[in-house]
Amino acid sequence: MRLVAAELVESRQVLPGQWIQSFHAPELATGSRAGQFVHVRTGDCTGLVLRRPFSLNTIDPASGTITIHFRTVGRGTAWLTRLRPGDTLDMLGPLGRPFEVDPRSRHLLLIAGGLGIAGLRLLVDEGIRDGRQVALLFGAASARDVYPSSLLPDEVEYVVATEDGSLGQRGRVTDLVPAYEAWADQAFACGPQPMLAALARLAAGRRERLGVARLGRKRGGGRQDPPGSPAARRKSFLQVSIEQNMGCAVGACLGCVVMGVSGQPQRVCREGPVFAAEEIAWEGGW
Amino acid sequence: MARPGRSTLVPARPDRPARPDRPARPNPPLVPDAAPGEEMSAGAGSLAPSAGAGSLEPSGWAGSLEPPAGAASVDLEVDLGRGLVLANPILVASGTFGYGVEYGEVVDVERLGAICCKGTTLRPRIGNPPPRVTETPGGMLNSIGLQNPGVEAVIEKYAPLWQAWRVPVLVNVAGESIADYVEVVRRLDGVPGVAGIELNISCPNVGKGGLQFALDPDAAGAVTAAVRRATDLPLLVKLSPNVSDVRPIARAIAAAGADALSAVNTLSGIALAPDRSRPFLGNVFGGLSGPALKPVALRIVYEVAQVVDIPVVAIGGVTELADVLDFLAAGAVAVQVGTAIFADPVLPVRLVDELGAECARRGLDSYRPLIGTALPQRPGAPSARGVEYRP
Repeated sequence: MRLVAAELVESRQVLPGQWIQSFHAPELATGSRAGQFVHVRTGDCTGLVLRRPFSLNTIDPASGTITIHFRTVGRGTAWLTRLRPGDTLDMLGPLGRPFEVDPRSRHLLLIAGGLGIAGLRLLVDEGIRDGRQVALLFGAASARDVYPSSLLPDEVEYVVATEDGSLGQRGRVTDLVPAYEAWADQAFACGPQPMLAALARLAAGRRERLGVARLGRKRGGGRQDPPGSPAARRKSFLQVSIEQNMGCAVGACLGCVVMGVSGQPQRVCREGPVFAAEEIAWEGGW
Repeated sequence: MARPGRSTLVPARPDRPARPDRPARPNPPLVPDAAPGEEMSAGAGSLAPSAGAGSLEPSGWAGSLEPPAGAASVDLEVDLGRGLVLANPILVASGTFGYGVEYGEVVDVERLGAICCKGTTLRPRIGNPPPRVTETPGGMLNSIGLQNPGVEAVIEKYAPLWQAWRVPVLVNVAGESIADYVEVVRRLDGVPGVAGIELNISCPNVGKGGLQFALDPDAAGAVTAAVRRATDLPLLVKLSPNVSDVRPIARAIAAAGADALSAVNTLSGIALAPDRSRPFLGNVFGGLSGPALKPVALRIVYEVAQVVDIPVVAIGGVTELADVLDFLAAGAVAVQVGTAIFADPVLPVRLVDELGAECARRGLDSYRPLIGTALPQRPGAPSARGVEYRP
């Protein structure tokens, strides 16, 4: 975790209201992993008092650049779009815990709902870099919100569902999952909370549906890892990246919690933003 | 704007005499080693030449430029009573700095005047359902709901760390009843690493968060007196702004034996969901903090400083040196920085440097002449020294 002066290199609107900005920040471009995020100071803190968290969208260690991908939803993000190349931003990062990919996993299933792609995009690159097969399922309301395939590497299998059927399969992204769940060794998702909850239910019933519970490979040979540990998360079929209103982003203010199955609130900024699906009490529990 | 240079441009922090009663230890670097060292822009409204507020630059390094000659020799010590002497009057507010460890990688906590830790209760609390925070114009609402692991866990996990620090840690104590408060304080009494108590009788976010004690002079006096009997630790009591007249409450707390007052906690408010179908926060009500709260806090400090003789520690919307100077002028002897830490974690440390530099610029060898200058004239300005200990 560091405070870094990130200089804007490029800013472009990739979809209506959605921007990808590239920053020169070598300190963040090395040593950061997919799933982690940066906490960005927007404007003068007498007006906007909170930083904004953004997933690390892509990283290019060679040029020392990172990108963030966001939708303009308020004054902070609107302010970001007015930055010009050469302007510097105050970023705190890398923060949070990354996705955990098992070294033996050959097939990665990534499920993105809308802007959730920003939380998974770097995992696409990491998976392909490590020689794995990556399938990316993407869901959006309509074609105008669909992440452009030109922004993805050629190696990724990219499947789209739109709710109005204007592009790809008509329906929700969760409808695409059953066709891939036997193929996938691990799944990773980022998107709206109801989508993640639906995926968690799917994942919980996967072993029974597939009938591989006792025939499949034994990940870790049945040894119990502490819940929430990297090892336990690697063994989980589904990992999710969760979004929550955030204050400090370092675990101090306890503002960004979700309820865990243990009955203890889990800090999205510290224990997350990536969790194994079975760590989360999806129905709440307060 | 040129790309920032590397840390070779960041000079060492000016030497500060070590506290005589504690061993001097080398401090970790003030700034991350990647911090830029280029010139900084002066913040609007700030009096110090090294102010970085309002700049888009990361401010981790802003306070580390060489302050004007003499700043290091300015006396910033503040006595909050009962032996609680802080190296400087810049504290971090409860709830915004965790237990002092969370920001450790980017903030040199040893340079703070003191740390007020997260509100601590007798038993563990899971707090309120999310969402718990939201930004508001010039501020934020929070309704954490006193999530904490309970006093025993706090003592076990954090007190050993605090003991090794030079910076005093005040444990913020909350409860539902006088017996709760007394029991928590009793357990903290004598624990190495616990430098004092900040009695939180003003949390607006839980049904029984003690706010009832801050609304009534008799109740405030009763809980203060009960805690006073239970401990000889320095005792601050944190006032609520959610009252019509804070002065009788402050008087009652002072009369009951508090060593100092901190003012103020958050102001109760709500926000609505984007579709306006319901309140936004999981707990409906939240506490407003940040610059939007500052005029209210300034008013309360101004009122309280005129009716009590114990030191007042101001809290509410401090984001730059000018805010510190305002609160001092209104009668506070120290300030706590809270919400602004979220945007600028190194602000409190920078304010220490800026306050010293400002005093040097004015030719002062102590910051105490800055205290109470805006108060109505009366015989004897409020003292920076606490009340004497009378057993």
